[in-house]
Amino acid sequence: MDIHNVLLITWKEILNARRNRWFILYTIIFALLSLALSWLGLAGVGSYNLAGFGKTTASLINLILLIVPLMGLTLGAISLAGEREKGTLLYLLAQPVSPFEVLLGKFLGIGTALLAALLIGFGLSGYLIALRGGITQISSYLSLIGFTLLLALATLGVGLLISSFMKKAESAVGMALFLWLFFVFFGDLGLIGSTLFFKLDIQQVLTLSLINPLQSFKLGALMSMRANLEVLGPVGLYAMRTFGSQLVFLVSALLGVWILSSFVVTYAVIQRKGGL
Amino acid sequence: MRKTRKSAFFFVLLIFTGWTFGFAQTEPAPASMVELQPLIERAQPGDTLYLDGGLYAGPVTIDKTIAIIGKNWPVIDGRLQGTVIEITAPGVHLQGLKIINSGIDLSEEDAGIALDAPDATIIDNHLQEVLFGIYLRRSHRTVLRNNLIEGKKEMEIPRRGDLIRAWSSDSLLIADNILRYGRDLIVWFSRNSIVRNNEVRYARYGIHFMYSDDCLIENNTLIHNSVGTFLMFSRRLTYRHNIVAYNRGASGFGIGVKDLDDGLIEENLIIDNRVGIFVDNSPRALDARMTYVGNVIAYNDAGFGLLSFVQRSHINKNSFIENYEQVAVTGAGFLTGNDWQGNYWSDYFGFDEDNDGIGDIPYKSEKLFEDLILRKPELRFFIYSPVIQAVNFAAQAFPLVKPHPKVEDPVPRMQPFFPNIDIGVELRTNWPLLISGVASILFGLFLIRGFAGSFKKANQESKTRSESMQTIAKNMMPHSRHGEASIAINNVTKSFGPIVALKDATLHIAGGECVALWGANGAGKTTLLRCILGVIPFEGNITINSYDIRKDGKQARYHIGFVPQEIQFHDHFSVLETIRFYAKLKKAPVERIQDWLQIVGLEPHAEKLVKELSGGMKQRLALAIALLADPPILLLDEPTANLDMRSREEFLSILKKLKDNGKTIVFSSHRMTEVIPFADRIVVMEHGKVVADIPPSEAYSYLGRFSQIRIYLPEEQIEKAIQILQGENFEVSRNGLGIKVKIDAQSRLRPIALLIDSGISIYDFEYELEH
Repeated sequence: MDIHNVLLITWKEILNARRNRWFILYTIIFALLSLALSWLGLAGVGSYNLAGFGKTTASLINLILLIVPLMGLTLGAISLAGEREKGTLLYLLAQPVSPFEVLLGKFLGIGTALLAALLIGFGLSGYLIALRGGITQISSYLSLIGFTLLLALATLGVGLLISSFMKKAESAVGMALFLWLFFVFFGDLGLIGSTLFFKLDIQQVLTLSLINPLQSFKLGALMSMRANLEVLGPVGLYAMRTFGSQLVFLVSALLGVWILSSFVVTYAVIQRKGGL
Repeated sequence: MRKTRKSAFFFVLLIFTGWTFGFAQTEPAPASMVELQPLIERAQPGDTLYLDGGLYAGPVTIDKTIAIIGKNWPVIDGRLQGTVIEITAPGVHLQGLKIINSGIDLSEEDAGIALDAPDATIIDNHLQEVLFGIYLRRSHRTVLRNNLIEGKKEMEIPRRGDLIRAWSSDSLLIADNILRYGRDLIVWFSRNSIVRNNEVRYARYGIHFMYSDDCLIENNTLIHNSVGTFLMFSRRLTYRHNIVAYNRGASGFGIGVKDLDDGLIEENLIIDNRVGIFVDNSPRALDARMTYVGNVIAYNDAGFGLLSFVQRSHINKNSFIENYEQVAVTGAGFLTGNDWQGNYWSDYFGFDEDNDGIGDIPYKSEKLFEDLILRKPELRFFIYSPVIQAVNFAAQAFPLVKPHPKVEDPVPRMQPFFPNIDIGVELRTNWPLLISGVASILFGLFLIRGFAGSFKKANQESKTRSESMQTIAKNMMPHSRHGEASIAINNVTKSFGPIVALKDATLHIAGGECVALWGANGAGKTTLLRCILGVIPFEGNITINSYDIRKDGKQARYHIGFVPQEIQFHDHFSVLETIRFYAKLKKAPVERIQDWLQIVGLEPHAEKLVKELSGGMKQRLALAIALLADPPILLLDEPTANLDMRSREEFLSILKKLKDNGKTIVFSSHRMTEVIPFADRIVVMEHGKVVADIPPSEAYSYLGRFSQIRIYLPEEQIEKAIQILQGENFEVSRNGLGIKVKIDAQSRLRPIALLIDSGISIYDFEYELEH
């Protein structure tokens, strides 16, 4: 692998993202919403001027669960399929560069762009919380950014995987939106229904939910922000008692598995399909 | 008031005298400290001992009714040896002292000050680095006022002692103290006491009451503790005007109420705790009740948490503002037997037509998901998931499933009630977080703007280095000798599903040769070129200068420059950015970019976005890119397909020069006019197979039967031209701005001659394969 080629394609992807209206839109939406949620949460009650940091955290986690997978999935989905549709992927692969370098460069480039968008959003909300005297620890703050990046990369990986199968960007984005709905709504909805209908026990609920990378993120984020999962009821307590502080590593590893496995499968598909 | 005998007082100057009276239970004091115990022993009951600054050795025991008053903060150092000051006599007065370094033995309950006598007054002291702060045992009527008590910050909370512990001590006044880094302010088995205006931060339970009846807890500030206040096993407690905020430890209650009877929780600010008020088995007695009135309960994860069997509670005139869950019920079953009236609910969507300040329809806490949690507590795991909002919203919009309301307030207030509390809480800017926030923004901007910029700069700076890169690239390419096969294609087959695009194609091309792939659309020319490039999988074998394209594709492609039929670049890039990107990818010398742009005539368009270029310009850009690293092989797929006449001639002249310079060129075309003068060999393809490999001299005789001529004419003469040619038995069809005429090898120029003789103007003509 030639790291120079990887960095070059990474640079190309960042430049592409910078000029991609979807990416710009996502960045602005994420920044504005995180700023607005922080502002609303910290506005204070009556004339007492006491801020609601807990509410802000909950709103931010909700926002991340909604927006970040959408960003990762759609930007990933557009990436390969869009280039394949235009013919630029074939042209790129016709250069002295390996498919692995192309894929890794794309992944790192879009990943870096996503990180930049997240940092801007987090930076704005962190700035506001800090001004209002929030006691959020730097470690918790960085940890939340870290878990969000893992979630972004996991969904980006899935987006690229979708993209590797599709010939048209529109189809890929359609599939990405369907998966987004599945991860964000239908997956949890199905699990809630199953829990009620099949009377799943605590262990089953935890195991099944951790298949969804969004739930892994949620556990990691709550652990970093609040140090325990009591707020999540019996399943949260079970997770804490079973895994203790190792839970953070477990959910990080699960998100890592999503990233790695989707990358490997995407690479295999590109090898099989080539530039067409 | 204490009796003070002025005749017997000692005035101790801030001079270290070096007295070293022995003290039985402790190590002797170092020379830098004054022994305090002898001074106490010399005092008579009723005396006042004034200490003016200085460092005094503890521990000490006060066993007579005296007062010790400090000026300029005299320090009494316990030297980690048990309790610093132990008081066994009643009526002792301590003021203005700095008491530090108690022992750290939890089982011995080492404290800053331990009292086992009534009527003490402990005011205006600083206790720091103490395990327990002030420990009262049977110390009735003691006053603790205006003390600063800080525990051992470095210790974990479970290993710390209580900052104030009152056990079996009635009628206490604990007021105006500031407490930090300890376990609790705990009052145990102590009746008729007042805890007022204290501030507790970074502790376990800010205030903790157990088995203590008839007490008043008011105007305290309890912030950033694990639990704000826990009131247990007591009766007739009044808890009012306290600020309880940001208590988010393991259980994280703002106010925990357990086994409490006839308590009044009134007009407190309860903000941003895990659970604002949590009620367990209160009231306990059947004839008792609990009252919660006028509290502001805002921004908590759960505003009011109750066990499901809690009854006889009156929850009135409270303001429930933006709690994630306004009311949370724990345990199976539904709440009954409580009075929820006249509260403000921020999620109330009713109206007040008569303007009496009361909503005209009841408030119901009936979120579907919260109802589901009651049925199946495991579902609490899904809170914070976006699906919850969707479920609740859907249930409200389409009330097919009506959840059982947890709470119903028949007379909800339309406006929140804010009690008059002097907030006095300063939320200071969190500078580390603020700096991190700013750093995040700057780093994010750098990643998205600066990283690309710095890379660009690095590109420019690496001009000199790129020369060596070119050398490296050249060294990687074995130079092929003329006549030696530089491209070997053996038995290559490629299928797209059921369609066979290439079948058993075999072809060897020597270095310096110019080979034309000739065939109709769909003959397999483009597929063959893509296989040579290794950008699609295939069966068979292809080597480029001895590199197997499938195993060493990247190395092999260093030898190839490629111009595709349909040129597509990244639309967001400028011409210069595009060519620079590919130059770096090919490890070509960056300083030659301008030369190539000049050669292909794109220098004036360097700053344009590629999407602004015409088809011809894009073609030239693609040729420039293909030639960047001076590769020995050029693959051109219908290179002139999108060019006008003039551009085509220019393009072909460039290719001619390249051919003369010894490049190996493989190009696909269906234009005879390009193939015949240009190619050394013509490879004829048909239905994915190589059907002939002939020199150009045989082209007319071999290809003529397949070919056609395309003639471009003035619009108004097309019909006439068709008639003339059809009259001479030519097969003619109209095609855009001209006509297509089928010809054979013997009549290639006859249609042209016929038309000229008939006075038809001819703009242009070209020979090509029949489609």
